[in-house]
Amino acid sequence: MDIRVAVLRIEGTNCEDETVRAFRALGAYAEAVHLKQFYSDMIRDDEVRSIWDYHCLVFPGGFSAGDYVRAGAIFSARVKSVLRRDLEEFIKEGYPVLGICNGFQILVELGALPGFDEDKPIADEPQMALAINDSNRFECRPTFLKHENRGKCVFTRKLKKEIVMYPVAHAEGKVVFPRGREEEYLERLIENDQIVFRYVDPEGNYSSYPWNPNGSFYNIAGICNVKGNVFGLMPHPERAFFGWQVGREEEVFDGKYVFESVIDYLRKFY
Amino acid sequence: MIMYREIYPGVYEIDILNAGDEELVKISEEMGLNLSLDEMKVIKEYFKNKGRNPRDIELQALGQAWSEHCCYKSSKYWLKKFLLGFKTDYVISTEYDAGVVEFDEEHAYVVALESHNHPSAVEPYGGAATGIGGILRDVLCMGAQPVALVDPLFFGDLSTPYEKLPPGIKHPVYLLEGVVAGIRDYGNRVGIPTVAGMVFFDESYLTNCLVNVGCVGVAKKDRIIPSKAGGEGDIFILAGGATGRDGIHGVTFASAELTDTESTRSAVQLGNPIMKEPLIHACLEIVEKGLLTGMKDLGGGGLSCAVGEMALAAGYGAEVWLDKVHLKEKDMKPWEIWISESQERMLLTVKPKHVDEVLYIFRKWDVPASVIGVVKGEKVLRVYYKDWLIYEMEIEFVTKGPEYCRATAERREKVEVDEVKEPEDYAKVFLKMISHPNVASKEWVIRQYDHEVRGNTVLKPLQGRIGFETHGDAAVVKPTDSWKGLAITADVNPWMTKIDPFWGTASSFDEMVRNLVAVNSEPHSFADCLNFGNPEKPERIWEFVESVKALGWMSKEFGLPCVSGNVSFYNETPYGGVAPTPTLMGIGIVEDVRRAVTSNFKREGSAIVLVGETKREFGGSLYSKVTGMKCNVVPKTDPKLLKRYSEAMLEAFRKFKVLSCHDPVEGGVAVALAEMAICGMGFEVSLDFIDLFSESNTRWIVEVKEAEKFVNFFKERGLKAKVIGYTGGDKLNYGKFSVELEEVEKAWRSGFSKFLR
Repeated sequence: MDIRVAVLRIEGTNCEDETVRAFRALGAYAEAVHLKQFYSDMIRDDEVRSIWDYHCLVFPGGFSAGDYVRAGAIFSARVKSVLRRDLEEFIKEGYPVLGICNGFQILVELGALPGFDEDKPIADEPQMALAINDSNRFECRPTFLKHENRGKCVFTRKLKKEIVMYPVAHAEGKVVFPRGREEEYLERLIENDQIVFRYVDPEGNYSSYPWNPNGSFYNIAGICNVKGNVFGLMPHPERAFFGWQVGREEEVFDGKYVFESVIDYLRKFY
Repeated sequence: MIMYREIYPGVYEIDILNAGDEELVKISEEMGLNLSLDEMKVIKEYFKNKGRNPRDIELQALGQAWSEHCCYKSSKYWLKKFLLGFKTDYVISTEYDAGVVEFDEEHAYVVALESHNHPSAVEPYGGAATGIGGILRDVLCMGAQPVALVDPLFFGDLSTPYEKLPPGIKHPVYLLEGVVAGIRDYGNRVGIPTVAGMVFFDESYLTNCLVNVGCVGVAKKDRIIPSKAGGEGDIFILAGGATGRDGIHGVTFASAELTDTESTRSAVQLGNPIMKEPLIHACLEIVEKGLLTGMKDLGGGGLSCAVGEMALAAGYGAEVWLDKVHLKEKDMKPWEIWISESQERMLLTVKPKHVDEVLYIFRKWDVPASVIGVVKGEKVLRVYYKDWLIYEMEIEFVTKGPEYCRATAERREKVEVDEVKEPEDYAKVFLKMISHPNVASKEWVIRQYDHEVRGNTVLKPLQGRIGFETHGDAAVVKPTDSWKGLAITADVNPWMTKIDPFWGTASSFDEMVRNLVAVNSEPHSFADCLNFGNPEKPERIWEFVESVKALGWMSKEFGLPCVSGNVSFYNETPYGGVAPTPTLMGIGIVEDVRRAVTSNFKREGSAIVLVGETKREFGGSLYSKVTGMKCNVVPKTDPKLLKRYSEAMLEAFRKFKVLSCHDPVEGGVAVALAEMAICGMGFEVSLDFIDLFSESNTRWIVEVKEAEKFVNFFKERGLKAKVIGYTGGDKLNYGKFSVELEEVEKAWRSGFSKFLR
């Protein structure tokens, strides 16, 4: 079966090409789709799309609508206004949704992550935030991530390595939970097996800046929802997909596993 | 005498036919035209023949078109004489805003480099951001996808005490932080990686910071778009941001000395990357579908220059309907609309049958677009506002502009001065050098730019062990599906050009070539951005001419074509002019990106080879700077020898396993070795004083496995190479002195960033 992936974009989304390329390199059909193609009546017939045309949705990196408000706020508001019911259904049926960097910020603003409630996969209001980095600056740097998921996240099931290297490039990536309830959130995330990646140093130890590039709580770099089919992370696996992107001789590199895992998941289930 | 008379609402006629010399000068001043008396007289003569007086919009258009910025009136004589005209068979075009060069059978790469100096000195954040915006449009208008940005920056000394700042001048720290933030917020948002650049400090930039921006793009060869109108009857479509009052008189402001940085803010435009980003997508979709015949970006001079230049280049005329332009503010006067430099705008010519399709594509991307005119056969430009004809001039008269060969005066020191001697305390001087802001780690800047977006950056500006990276020589991007790559570097040495603009420029060219070769790329083309002082001063134009001579000589003798360029004069205030700054952006072709070479030491016990010859040349050197020992012997170079060395290096890369390579620049071999070691591997070498600190050209440091064979390979070709030592340990042992790696690393990492928040 042909696996179809939509990489969603609006103005200011800017990592769609390399994200599409990563899926295509593994044989999936992927295309960049402007959000307007789902709803606007000015779009010509041959360019109209529905989310049900796809098996997987991806919110890629970038600065959607400029991120002049909170990062991801405007993209998520548009999704909510035109797509909310469909997207909720999509997630409930088990179709995977991925958010990378700005995409993670969008999923958080949308209320789809941490996504504790399986019956209501999009919360009415955001449950966490991706706040401004502790350095107060945009940081473009390689990071080491420890994979701590025990099998729930459909995007990392094929990942056998314990430590991977994906680069980050963001100004707002610090995971923050409601003040005073951090431990409670953390316990739930651990119990539900929702923690996917945590920042570590080259030796695999939990460490502070620059290894934790933004000051994230519990060194969290990526989490999935309670069902394991919505996954958001700040680092960019699509920038560490091929060996040549990271100065390695191997043909493919750590980033591949994210894309491979979800394709494998879809092949088995649909 | 009444000089101004309103003939239509908002349109004034100016009585120049009856104006004497004094009044002509007054008109130029009052209207902000920045035209000389002689130029005003030519205009008066032109309208006398027409038998009527000009309107404000016509004079404003002439002020734009004849500005230094638009018509290169002080520079084009010299550029034509010394630099332009040399091409290789792979150069596709150099006549437009960006140079187009063959990349492979199917693709071309597109190069542009420009200054955005005056705006950045006044409003660093906005000025630098719109500099990025402008250079992206230059590349985009050729039909190319931008793939990399480059930003060489020049500021006054960061340690300048506030009380020493002249009135109205902003502190270098403020300017640097603002400029970096502007580039970051614009470049990161449009999603084009900023992969290379330089940050240089010298007191001559205190009152004139320089912000140069470069861009490289990639296009399909059969989809390259000329910056000229297609044919008679084609429709002009203006797309992108709305036109407003921001950036009025930007070019005339850039074509005069900057006297005060507070009252000129209105000449700085406002950037909007979130308009630019979809504008790029929409334009490229239109290009891909073959729906347009010509495209040009709106930069200096706005519509006035863009329409004129597109029509003139094609040998046509045009008719424009100004009231169709979409505006930011309602009550703009016609002349303001005509010359506004509002950002994020592109002008397209489209066959009438494709207009609807093109407008649909812009609408789909939420980019406003309007039909604003038509291409005409007669070589006259007519502008209408509502039903009134408010502008009618021959295109050739407006757009060609004057050309000057200004008087020059040599200021080179005739007597050789060389007071340089060995330091008393080697380690102390060395630590001063490694922590000098011109040498020290630029990580604070580099990490704020997304240098990896698009996922095609193979060699990044910071290389080596993660978390402990060092500077690279050139960035490498992989722009297509093949293994072929583009190496990109930006170089100039203002300390050398200040002493001797000829040899300083030749040295900068040598450095550019060395950087390209160091990453294992074949030098292919370059662009120049020539930043100089006031050309009306004979010693300034002399500096310029010397520099252009050197570039032309190096370019032709080495065989590297100059494919794009920009001249920025008037980088001068009453407090002085900038050091001659011919910024160069070099492009190299990497046959296989997997074979690109990085600068950090890789293995303990490898041999370190110094390729090339070191002479006693300390003029403009970092050693001379930090010790205060005077020297005006600027390093010389020989383009033929540089060529022989470059070819031998590239052949050696194919023949031998090269683990790392770096070229000595500021601080000579001593600093270059430290930069190779800083990721965590020391070395032991034995070098004399000259070898350590002289900044002679045409040299590389190479880490190799088979040292003897490698050295012989060069000797067999009559070239010089020698083993100077071995990698390993946690000391930098130079023979004459030794320092702990940790101490050097600390000095290098903090030398620049300690001035910043």
